[in-house]
Amino acid sequence: MSLEQPKLDRLQRWMQEVVVHPGTVEEAIASEGAEHEFPSERLGEVVTPSHSMTSAERVGVYQGMYLMRMEEALETDYPVIRYHLGDVAFSHLIEAYVQRYPSRSYTLNRLGDHLPQFFLDEPEWPQAAFLHDLARLELAMTQVFDEQESPVLSAEELEAVHPDAWENARLEPIAAFRLLSFRYAVIPHLVAFHEDRPSPSPRRRAAWVALYRRDYSVLRLELSRAEHDLLKALAGGTPLGEALAIAAQSQKSSHQRAQIFKWFRTWIAEGLFTSIEA
Amino acid sequence: MSENRWSFPDLGLGVGLRTPHYAHILSEKPDIGFFEVLTENYLDTGGRPLYLLDQIAELYPMVMHGVSMSIGSTDPIDFDYLAKVKALAARTGALWISDHVCWTGVLGRNTHDLLPLPYTEESLKHSVERIKVVQDYLDRPLVMENPSTYLEFAASDMPEWEWVARMAEEADCGLLFDVNNVYVSAYNHGFDPVEYIDAIPGERVCQYHLAGHTNKGTHIIDTHNDHVLDPVWELFGHTIRHVGLRATLLEWDADIPPFEIVHQEVLKADDWRRQEVANVA
Repeated sequence: MSLEQPKLDRLQRWMQEVVVHPGTVEEAIASEGAEHEFPSERLGEVVTPSHSMTSAERVGVYQGMYLMRMEEALETDYPVIRYHLGDVAFSHLIEAYVQRYPSRSYTLNRLGDHLPQFFLDEPEWPQAAFLHDLARLELAMTQVFDEQESPVLSAEELEAVHPDAWENARLEPIAAFRLLSFRYAVIPHLVAFHEDRPSPSPRRRAAWVALYRRDYSVLRLELSRAEHDLLKALAGGTPLGEALAIAAQSQKSSHQRAQIFKWFRTWIAEGLFTSIEA
Repeated sequence: MSENRWSFPDLGLGVGLRTPHYAHILSEKPDIGFFEVLTENYLDTGGRPLYLLDQIAELYPMVMHGVSMSIGSTDPIDFDYLAKVKALAARTGALWISDHVCWTGVLGRNTHDLLPLPYTEESLKHSVERIKVVQDYLDRPLVMENPSTYLEFAASDMPEWEWVARMAEEADCGLLFDVNNVYVSAYNHGFDPVEYIDAIPGERVCQYHLAGHTNKGTHIIDTHNDHVLDPVWELFGHTIRHVGLRATLLEWDADIPPFEIVHQEVLKADDWRRQEVANVA
């Protein structure tokens, strides 16, 4: 087949195969996908050499920058995982991740969306179960950061609800709200990152967290299991009376039951809800 | 020398809007002609970036500069993306929308790099057709930036400047003329940058870009991480003599210094602009 006038689509398929290949540029040019488009020994008929660089070196400028760019994007979204793993292990992770989940979006902001799933796909990856939880936390933080702004349910709106209507009232959370449960204690790793302390060893301990945004800052509430379950019910649209009754059953003492209303007041004050349907 | 054919205004001197500078811009309200926003940074966020952008757009003229239109790709045009671009332009009141002469991926993938095109009749026809479709959809002229490139395809059958000039004429689109890119590509490919500049249809140029770069010895990388180098300033002078005064923007995207340093750097362009005005007078 002549290489004199390669079609644009063929040229682009070839170059993409080479650019995204994780090996050396020589390995990339000789890879099966690239060879399928153009035989590697005829590289000079595809890309011309310059006065100072061979054809392979010139392609290598693009190929060398691809993984760097992917890593830069993902270290923005997953700074705690990078901090925990260190530069070398993080680079190794990103190389494997973008092979499995390359970008298919016009924005790099979506590149990291599959990292939690990657650790489920790769259960043998070192610390996979812990990293799955940590990735879920960091992904949720970026989602909360980028969500649409919602009006916050005001005290006046709550007071306007007739007492008879409270039983069946339903609350709607703000868009920038995520409720998470973890098998591993991931918050200490987030704190260690922010305080520039050594990242602790992963510890298996259940944890529950609400992430939300207020005044355009991402905030978190660390929850007990009972708090999580009640907040999950409310955010899911369970009528207020039903959700509170279930929560009260799980609290044995009157002191514990009184806590429920303290939680509720905190969530309202923190602006977790946007509206109430009474 | 003439105005551009759409009479887009000469906004004077501007800089790329970057996150580390938000607070300074809003508190100090620096005297600057315009800001250029990276389109994709604001398409999918309802959070702080968009909130701050809205405030800055109330204070300054805005233009939009994208990296994902992939106008030369053989993949289908992404109309979902274009819809968001159009909505952001309406929201910010952007005076024009620019992107690059390049492709970013095929087969549904995005490498997020500005990959080079072969300069052939086929790629020209393909790109011109797509620019027309995009312009119809956006209901405004598209402004295309000449690329910086690190390789040349053997298939190319015309110089880049001829391809770019014909693209602009045949698609009836604008040009964002990046002077640093011409310098970078001229160094990498061994052509005369002045010949490139002289071939550009000035009435289609709507904006200039200036930036720093990194010389690796064997080649130059368009890193946008430093001051503009003297040879690029010289080429800028030649460009405004050939084309005329246009909105002039400094790009500084890596190792970003405090706003005052970026601002001072773009103010150097004023010396060249004043000199040009004096020459004309």
